Amino acid sequence: MKRAAILWRVASVLVAGSFIAAWQLVADLRLVSPVFLPGPDRAWAALVRGFSSGDLAGKLIGTLEHMAYGWFAASIAGIGLGALIGSSKMMRAYVAPSLEFLRPLPVSAIIPVAIAMLGLTQGMALFVIAFGAIWPIMLATIHGFAAVEPRLYEVARSLQMSRAAIIAKIALPSALPDILAGMRLSLTVALILSVVCEILAGLDGLGHWVLLSARAFRSADLFAGVILLGATGYLTSIAVSLVEQRLLAWQAAAR
Amino acid sequence: MSVVARLIEARAARRQKPLIAFNAATLRLGGKTIIENLDLQVRPGEFLCIVGASGCGKTTALRLAAGLYRPTSGAVTFEGEPITEPRREVAIVFQDYGKALLPWRTAAGNISLALEASRVPARERGARIEALLRKVGLPGHADKYPTEMSGGMQQRLQIARCLAQEPTTLLMDEPFGALDAMTRQGLQDEVLSLTQASETTVIFVTHDLDEAIYLGDRVIGLLPHPGRIGIELDVDLPRPRDQLATREHPEFLRLRRQLFDFIKATEH
Ligand SMILES: Nc1ncnc2c1ncn2[C@@H]1O[C@H](COP(=O)(O)OP(=O)(O)OP(=O)(O)O)[C@@H](O)[C@H]1O
Ligand SMILES: [Mg+2]
Repeated sequence: MKRAAILWRVASVLVAGSFIAAWQLVADLRLVSPVFLPGPDRAWAALVRGFSSGDLAGKLIGTLEHMAYGWFAASIAGIGLGALIGSSKMMRAYVAPSLEFLRPLPVSAIIPVAIAMLGLTQGMALFVIAFGAIWPIMLATIHGFAAVEPRLYEVARSLQMSRAAIIAKIALPSALPDILAGMRLSLTVALILSVVCEILAGLDGLGHWVLLSARAFRSADLFAGVILLGATGYLTSIAVSLVEQRLLAWQAAAR
Repeated sequence: MSVVARLIEARAARRQKPLIAFNAATLRLGGKTIIENLDLQVRPGEFLCIVGASGCGKTTALRLAAGLYRPTSGAVTFEGEPITEPRREVAIVFQDYGKALLPWRTAAGNISLALEASRVPARERGARIEALLRKVGLPGHADKYPTEMSGGMQQRLQIARCLAQEPTTLLMDEPFGALDAMTRQGLQDEVLSLTQASETTVIFVTHDLDEAIYLGDRVIGLLPHPGRIGIELDVDLPRPRDQLATREHPEFLRLRRQLFDFIKATEH
């Protein structure tokens, strides 16, 4: 069991390593013009240069801020609305159809509306990011609240627990695995939309950096930005997973 | 008449008055009459067992007494007042203990839920939890999650949580139905010693006729479609009951025979 896990880890490192090696090979053989494709060596150099000159760190912080604000707003609104809808059968019956209509709507369709209403502002970015990121969270919360074991509500009734106590002690913890899974999904959505908004509205962030680098044919800087975006998505997702593991330690006991 | 004598008399009168009473209670669910014209009085401190074929309405009757259902017509009363909602002094032990426990709380946390609901101050909870776990034979398991416990331990935990409510009445729905014979007998004796000492009133649903006679002061047999009382037996067996001696008692065997014949006739 343990050995298999180590082997998988080794295998995944090998895959990543050979991917980078292949990339270097393609770049060195000039299969693609260096104007468009820098090798990993040049991308890395650009990354280091970007950080030492201070530009890139500022852009990274800008993107992290957009992402975090949008994601927090989406989480609070998504959990609140999801709890409201999910805990009542009637609400589910009434609201679910309109949700099904709104959900498949690509967020990109909302962006022009948001720009028209809010302009090319931080507020617009916050709205778009939160709007896109709310869906996985809200739908997961609705599902989590709807799936609470009815027996537990009867236990709560027989203990004459207050409505607030029932939500805090029964419904929320029961729905927590679903909610956290939804929050992890929407993290990626928030990152993508942060970049999109930065590109469209020229807001300070990695999206803007990537756009400017591409326009100036600075492919190494472009790749440095992309690598940083990938790392941001990967690391934030790991961070949420760690929190998830901590909060859901009781599930590990079940296995 | 002296004050003491009057007090004793008042207490005796209270003992005679039913704690829980079904008065011509009828319950219809989904267009079907599930319980019809049920008349039943449960005395304070009584251990009443309800038996009957599967689907005859035992669980439904218990849920009426719990306040989880309200009768369509007639009344179900607690101390003379109609039951409208579950109350803390009436604890329910569900058959499916796996679903009735919070999987994200440890054994201690599950018991704490009842203490929190009764507003027991946080600093008193630890000692109370420890005492309750000891009472149901689970000392040292405070930090285990329900999923780490056997079925028998989980059911003990649920009973401990119910005792934390400090109930005057325990409603038990086939609490030992899913347990093996040895665990079952052990828990039967534990429930008897826990409830007899505190004069807790118990309504105990089971489909095990031997269990019903072994535990009860009285056994009610329900007839199905719709659920109503078909037989009522007073169990005049000495207490404390003993797994071997009681079950060999001629009266036990006579009652057992009578109950088996009744159930057989309802199954035809
Ligand atoms: N919510 C409901 N709606 C409609 N019918 C119901 C409902 N709950 C129970 N019934 C029906 O009422 C009858 C009695 O059910 P109940 O669960 O009380 O039986 P029971 O005696 O406890 O059976 P078992 O021994 O199998 O637990 C059954 O025929 C069942 O199908
Ligand atoms: Mg039943």
